[in-house]
Amino acid sequence: MSATSTRTTTGSEAAAQPPAAPAPRRRKAPRPGRIVLVAVLTVAALYFLLPVYWLVVAATKSNDSLYGSFGLWFDDPRLWDNLSRVFSYDGHVYLRWALNSLLYAGVGAVLATLLSAAAGYALAKYRFAGREAVFKFVLAGVLLPSTALALPLYLMFSKLELTNTYWGVLIPSAVSPFGVYLCRIYAEAAVPDTVLEAARVDGAGEARIFFSLVLRIMTPALVTVFLFQFVHIWNNYFLPLVMLSDDRKYPITLGLVTWQQAADRVPELTQYTIGGAFVSVIPLAVAMLVLQRFWQTGLTEGSVKE
Amino acid sequence: MPTRRKVLAWGAAAAAAPALAGCGEKVGAARTTTATRRRPGQKVTLTFWTWVPLQKAVALWNKQNPDVRVDVQTVPANTSGGYQKMHSALTAGDPPDLAQVEYYALPEFMLVNGLTNLSEYGADELKGAYVDWQWQQGVFAGKTYAIPQASGPMGLFYRQDLFDKWDVEVPATWDEYRAAAVKIKKRGSLITAFPPANAQWFAALPWQRGARWVTTEGDTWVVDLTSPESLEVADFWDGMISDGLVSPIQDSQSAFFKGLQTGGLATWPGAQWYDALIRGNAPRTEGRWRVAELPQWERGAHASSNWGGSATAILQGSRHPVEALEFAHWLNTDPAAIDLLIAAGYGWPAARMELAGSALGKPDPFFGGQRYNEVFQLSDRNVDTSWRFAPTTTQSYAHVQDAFGRVLAGHGTLADALKDAEGKFVDDLKAKGLEARSAR
Amino acid sequence: MSTSVKPSGTAATRGRRRGRPDRKAWAFLGPFLALYLFAMVVPVFYAIYQSMLKVERNGPMGLGEPSVGFAGFENYSLALQQETFVDGFGRVLLFGLVQVPVMLLLALVLALLLDQVSHRWAGLLRATYFLPYGIPGVIATILWGFLYVPGVSPVTDVLGDLGFQPDFLGYDNVLWSIANIVVWQFAGYNMLIIVAQLKSVPQELYEAARIDGAGPWQTALHIKIPLVRPALVLTTVFSIIGTMQLFAEPLVLKKVAPAVTTDYTPNLSAYFDAFANANLYLAAAKSVILAVVAMALSFGFLSLVTRKQRSER
Repeated sequence: MSATSTRTTTGSEAAAQPPAAPAPRRRKAPRPGRIVLVAVLTVAALYFLLPVYWLVVAATKSNDSLYGSFGLWFDDPRLWDNLSRVFSYDGHVYLRWALNSLLYAGVGAVLATLLSAAAGYALAKYRFAGREAVFKFVLAGVLLPSTALALPLYLMFSKLELTNTYWGVLIPSAVSPFGVYLCRIYAEAAVPDTVLEAARVDGAGEARIFFSLVLRIMTPALVTVFLFQFVHIWNNYFLPLVMLSDDRKYPITLGLVTWQQAADRVPELTQYTIGGAFVSVIPLAVAMLVLQRFWQTGLTEGSVKE
Repeated sequence: MPTRRKVLAWGAAAAAAPALAGCGEKVGAARTTTATRRRPGQKVTLTFWTWVPLQKAVALWNKQNPDVRVDVQTVPANTSGGYQKMHSALTAGDPPDLAQVEYYALPEFMLVNGLTNLSEYGADELKGAYVDWQWQQGVFAGKTYAIPQASGPMGLFYRQDLFDKWDVEVPATWDEYRAAAVKIKKRGSLITAFPPANAQWFAALPWQRGARWVTTEGDTWVVDLTSPESLEVADFWDGMISDGLVSPIQDSQSAFFKGLQTGGLATWPGAQWYDALIRGNAPRTEGRWRVAELPQWERGAHASSNWGGSATAILQGSRHPVEALEFAHWLNTDPAAIDLLIAAGYGWPAARMELAGSALGKPDPFFGGQRYNEVFQLSDRNVDTSWRFAPTTTQSYAHVQDAFGRVLAGHGTLADALKDAEGKFVDDLKAKGLEARSAR
Repeated sequence: MSTSVKPSGTAATRGRRRGRPDRKAWAFLGPFLALYLFAMVVPVFYAIYQSMLKVERNGPMGLGEPSVGFAGFENYSLALQQETFVDGFGRVLLFGLVQVPVMLLLALVLALLLDQVSHRWAGLLRATYFLPYGIPGVIATILWGFLYVPGVSPVTDVLGDLGFQPDFLGYDNVLWSIANIVVWQFAGYNMLIIVAQLKSVPQELYEAARIDGAGPWQTALHIKIPLVRPALVLTTVFSIIGTMQLFAEPLVLKKVAPAVTTDYTPNLSAYFDAFANANLYLAAAKSVILAVVAMALSFGFLSLVTRKQRSER
């Protein structure tokens, strides 16, 4: 990090500042500033929560009251009714979509984490010719725009007859150059050479060292990579859109957009889209709230080094 | 230092690359039509993809022809995914034998070698049973590629009761139409809707004036959206829009049908097949509608145009082209089949037939007892048949629609929109590898 | 056994004692590299290959049986001649020039403000701001779409009561409505990156500043912001890449906003060329152009920043 020398102020504005108490790190800003601070933070919170709140309210409404009643308050709530219709529409296709999303994101993220851990470990703890070149080569992939890849992938996969299959989505999802980067940094910092040497002296094979020793040490990084990749795959729209044509294989994102686009011909679908979004967003929101510290930890660990 | 041998090797490879490029790539239909010899008594099943509800007609065929069974599968309508499905099936190599393809989409399918050459199976002899200009829609370079089914001659649907109430004369010219519009607006209604996103409907209007948006000069496609005739029509409607004489809502959806039902919209210059839509969506106006010729640009003329119409095509890759052709011909010319299709509201038949004897010639209570199809028959005979469709109609008309949408949002005029769309139209054709240019 | 990727010119530190672990490295690296090549590297070359092909039209009016031939750079020149495609780049650049700074400013301000708040509140607020990141872009667009359509949206209702007639989906406004969705989605995520960087600032710096009498504004301006620069650089680069590829939001919004044309962004143009117009080779060329521009911009930005840094030292 480039450090800038702290500049000393000549005390003009500092005069307004009461002398800081010795122990607490935080200092309370002056009263009017405090109000502005709280106001800004509250408005920001309202802004970020607005669509989610609207979603919760709208999911309880019937199609008519969606257009009729005020958007931000309830009107004749019938959440369970709506949800049951969302689940049963078109042969329970929504449940299928949910399972597909879990499959793509879950299996994809697990594979990506494993592969990234192995690669990161190799780049960190072994010395071999071409190591830095390989690393730079992998890093370049982080900068590659992923949607620019989806079309060529489709063209390639259609020659290989991999389009419209689960593999067509899973294979690209299991590749995470960013994960390799994170794992390398973490492995370099956290896996001591001495431990590896000791294990080798004890006669353990490389594979055994990796699976039983290294992976355990690297767990925080693994969790971070897993979460990053899970969210990335879950949110990815272009890849499944381009790869899949059988709507039974769609993830939730693709499925809900299909409903939304057909809603002018089949009006109930507006309500089902909202209900479906509700079901997918709420657990995600809760997960985000609970897991956000992992992102922070992961990002602190190493991603923000130059 | 690279050796000379290496440099030579790379050089040779680079030189060979263009020749090798493209090898292994195939474009368009993956499978070619072959007629499999049929043993007498052997059962054949044909698949037919369509969105028109013609199940009853097909059921009749299946009853009469137990050996050749036709399996109808409903696909999404044309551009809502139906054509995309057909294209995908063609590239995958397992297309249906028969498919519903509208006239404007036939060139698109030709581009991907998607239609079977029916002349090889004797289709040319069937020409006489069909109205000439509809037959010509399926003819390319002298060979026949589709059997025409129905078209959509234009006419003016109008509310006789409202015209009587408000003392409006049935307009015979477009000037009279505008005058009627002013009168109707004073009464709190509007004379018609101007759909912002329906280029197919709009195209029928310059077509009537004699404009030709697409022509060919040798092998070059020439796009001309800004001919004087076309601009005359655009200016007319620009005036109607800017004076608030028309409603800028999309046709064929709830607000539009509401207007027809309540009298908010007094007329609709539409195609013959709109009779079923009005009947179905504005039932409470039974008896109040009549049909007249489209208003004319020159008094006393009878110029007309067409909106829509489709053919029964046999896709490239079918294994039973002979049986499929037989079925297609039967579907579109057999009197019993035609009656069933008319009942399903499929449009103006392509088969040459006497109006008087058929269901179409009867006086219709929905239209106050008028034999309204006589108007459409006259219209059909006066359709300017020099109109062509380009192989990129779907995407190019979308440019027209985008541009019109902008106009109705207050940016520019329809004439500007046509100029804008013309350049994009030519780009579309060039992107397909075709020779194309703008007319001016 | 080693899969040759790129011949390296780095100093050969081939530890002879480490002969065996050396090879084992490739066993660990192999699976990732194989998939990486297959799913990320080869497609790039395949796209370039496909972009050099074209469909050759034969027969009268070009409607005869088509064949595939070599195009060289014809597809590229065709794409660059399409005004709407080039306009898409301009649009996306304009979008980026406004949206990225606004979003990063918001992220920075929130990160700094959160630093002034008690630990528990900060945690709760951080989670709230981060929440939209977990919502897939298309779902966010569907939700905001409802919030933009008059008749359904409580926002237009309320603004209408106050006398405004906002037209969020109109021709002049829809680009910024899309920008709003992107800011909403990623401000919190970028804020977290900055917060993480802030947390790694050694406390001694704050102590020293406090002793020198610096108020919260000055601490922020002179210490915090310069120190989070690496985070800002990172977020900017990723935002540039993301902005250039803008696709999902306009595509989903297109349904309710006729102002969004099929060429609205370069990615949208390539997509419709491939899947609606069946111009696969042209679409490949457009994808390559887009990838090249995006990478050029990111590299350009990165080199600009590192050069500035080097000149500052």
